[in-house]
Amino acid sequence: MKNESQCMMWVFACLNFMFLCCMGGLFFFLVHESFPIIKLYGLDFWFGQDWWVGETYGALPMLYGSTLVTALACLLVLPLALAVAIFISEFLTSMNRRFVKAVLELLAGVPGIVYGLLGVTFLSLWIKDIFGLLDGNTLVTAACLLSIMILPTVLTLSEDAMRAVPAEYRENALGLGLSKWQTAITVVLPQALPGIMGAVLLGIGRAMGETIAVMLVVGSLDRIPDPWFNIFSSAQTIPSKLGREAAESIGEGTHWSALMALGLTLFLMVLVISFMGNRFLKRERKL
Amino acid sequence: MVRVLLFILAGMGVAPFSVHADHSSKIEIVGSSTVLPIASRAAEKFKSASSHRMRILVNAGGSGVGIHSVARGRSDIGMTSRKISMSERKRFEGSHLKVHSVGMDAIACVVSSEIYAAGIHDLTRQQIRDIYQGKIKNWKDVGGPDRNIVVVDKERHRGTRHVFMNYIFGNPTPKTFGTLLVTGSNNEEQTKIAQSDSAIGMLSYAWINDEVKAIAIRHEKNIVSPTRETIRKGNYPITRNLSFITAGEPNGEVKAFLEFLKSPEGQQIVEESGYIPFN
Amino acid sequence: MSAAAFERCMIIFLSLLTLLISSLLLIILVTVFIKGLPALHSGFFMEASENFGRSGGIFYQLMGTLLLMTGAVLVSLPVALGSVIYQTQFLKSKSLKEVCRLSAQMLNATPTILFGLVGYLFFGVYLKTGVSWVTGSLILSIMILPTLQISIREAIEAMPQKYKDTGMALGLSRWEQIKSIIIPQCYYGIITGVFLGLARAAGETAAIMFAATTFSGIQFPETFEDPVPTLQTHMLVLTQEAANPKAIAQAWGAGWVLLALVFILTITAWILRSRLKMEAEL
Repeated sequence: MKNESQCMMWVFACLNFMFLCCMGGLFFFLVHESFPIIKLYGLDFWFGQDWWVGETYGALPMLYGSTLVTALACLLVLPLALAVAIFISEFLTSMNRRFVKAVLELLAGVPGIVYGLLGVTFLSLWIKDIFGLLDGNTLVTAACLLSIMILPTVLTLSEDAMRAVPAEYRENALGLGLSKWQTAITVVLPQALPGIMGAVLLGIGRAMGETIAVMLVVGSLDRIPDPWFNIFSSAQTIPSKLGREAAESIGEGTHWSALMALGLTLFLMVLVISFMGNRFLKRERKL
Repeated sequence: MVRVLLFILAGMGVAPFSVHADHSSKIEIVGSSTVLPIASRAAEKFKSASSHRMRILVNAGGSGVGIHSVARGRSDIGMTSRKISMSERKRFEGSHLKVHSVGMDAIACVVSSEIYAAGIHDLTRQQIRDIYQGKIKNWKDVGGPDRNIVVVDKERHRGTRHVFMNYIFGNPTPKTFGTLLVTGSNNEEQTKIAQSDSAIGMLSYAWINDEVKAIAIRHEKNIVSPTRETIRKGNYPITRNLSFITAGEPNGEVKAFLEFLKSPEGQQIVEESGYIPFN
Repeated sequence: MSAAAFERCMIIFLSLLTLLISSLLLIILVTVFIKGLPALHSGFFMEASENFGRSGGIFYQLMGTLLLMTGAVLVSLPVALGSVIYQTQFLKSKSLKEVCRLSAQMLNATPTILFGLVGYLFFGVYLKTGVSWVTGSLILSIMILPTLQISIREAIEAMPQKYKDTGMALGLSRWEQIKSIIIPQCYYGIITGVFLGLARAAGETAAIMFAATTFSGIQFPETFEDPVPTLQTHMLVLTQEAANPKAIAQAWGAGWVLLALVFILTITAWILRSRLKMEAEL
């Protein structure tokens, strides 16, 4: 019997090892495949502004597009998520709360391609008409679409963060004569702030990694907009670039290496953001 | 309860295999979205005429993807709407790529139907060059309405772009600074030009419709539109062969399929798809 | 304005905002529902697609999606279960536990296109599974690993300590405890995880578009090397033809089916979670 347990323990240990290998393997492959181009270009890869396949590979337009789109989405999401989270957590009855949370969880699972379809058939055309643009495939379109995509997730996590503030804080505040509103804003919210930060960071991480929806509406132009803050021009993000160009040179060559290096960059960026996000969330729960 | 669910799961996984016991042969074709209609239609006809079960997979991706796939053995046949470039020949030297042309096609410089209706019926090579370079930004500078030009470009490896740019710039992969947005397949480009009311782009002439109009190329006093006549006679300057590429000499099913494409029946399919057969 | 009136205004403002946001999100669902309905003619679910996907049905695409999802869960489940059991029952070292936890978090956050590209490189090219549904299932199985792990872990950690104590008091060996106490008690976690994993794998496009799919030519895969048509990639191709109303109508129909599939799976996961959890706690 002891031997059987020992044996099974090794089986489980193996399965665990397989799981750990997934992450390790992913990272290893990304680094291994990017190595050629990084050796060739060094830091210039990330500062280069031109990406002409076969001639020169510069990642700056993609980095810029990814950063700008994500930052915009964050700006759009943050106030909304905050306001709605406060309302749901502090002012809604528990039955309604559960219903709203269920709906949010459902919405968080909507596939990216469905958002892509909505973006192409509605959002792109609306933005073109509202702003009088030449074409609706722009940075701002992608940012709007992304903000709608991550809203359910950020909302639900922010609301969790507010809920996690212990009841004593609220009771003490109310006991001191503060109104519900004052309690919510001056007592609960500051306590929940790290958790809300965490939620937003995780949302950003997801927005940065979204491929399909962005690929269809961002315009796929490998250029930093002119002027740089022109969010109404077409641009390119890293996942969108990978989605559009990877089929051309899968497996080998300088082009592939450059794409892998882009992928590695994206991976590291998302990793850092998610790591920070999870730290903020964890800190919140410890309170 | 759990057992029922597991059974359903397992059933879903096994079901596909129980349906077809016999193993059929398979041909995988990848590449140009221009050639795709020919390949798809021919695949249907070829499969129904074949004596045994055949599966022919046809997928788009672009001429560059087609060449890369067949050279690396990820597909049996690659479709291209342009010549294999020098750098590609060098890269894939070991694969001994063989080109089988089945028809001809012309590339039209296209504009949104509103622009055509406003009077733009032809442009010179230099004007098109300047538009794609960003030197001409408004339609009024070439005799059209006062509207900014939506310059639609294609992904760099696309066959349609190679051939078009080769004529306009003398270089199949030039840098175009006037581009407003980049599309992939012919379908996507056609959509964008149709949706806009001031766009210019490049499309196979089989994709022209009411929303997307071809303009003629003007050279001094000559104005040449892409029509069957001008293409066949060689007057229209932007033409290309539509080809299927194999790695080495084809044999077996692949050879039979390629021969079918070159046969009268296959050539009729080329014509039905809107292109020009070789005879 | 008095403080009380101001606060009441703010609360009303927040409630309106909440209403607005919820409506916005619900409108999205309703839009897909309405636009997709016309395409759902009687044959839609059972017919093959025709005319480059612009007419006909989506039967084989649906089957392809189901196949990839099922394969992914079948591969992922043992690894998820085994790894969580190892981490909760056998692992002592704090730092290794931390590494495992971080690994799961990172895996969950990784952009899915990277799974697709590296997965294709590893499985498709190096292990020679090519562009096939097997490659797709393997890639998806890695992607949904964290989803399964979270559910299973929740169930194990919620289990009262007294069950384990009883097991030890009865003199059961480690393995017997796991087999007869822990695993049965966390059934609801396993099942919930499976359904949530299925839902997540169903909607995923970027991970499989290079590695597992074909747009035409295959109905059911016949070997382990065949790619499959899927709802997601079918929609992707059709979406790029936005000016063609027939193509877009088909895309909406496929989107309706995909969304319905994801929702049914998610809601089933919830129902099972509450049902089975109640049973476990009895």
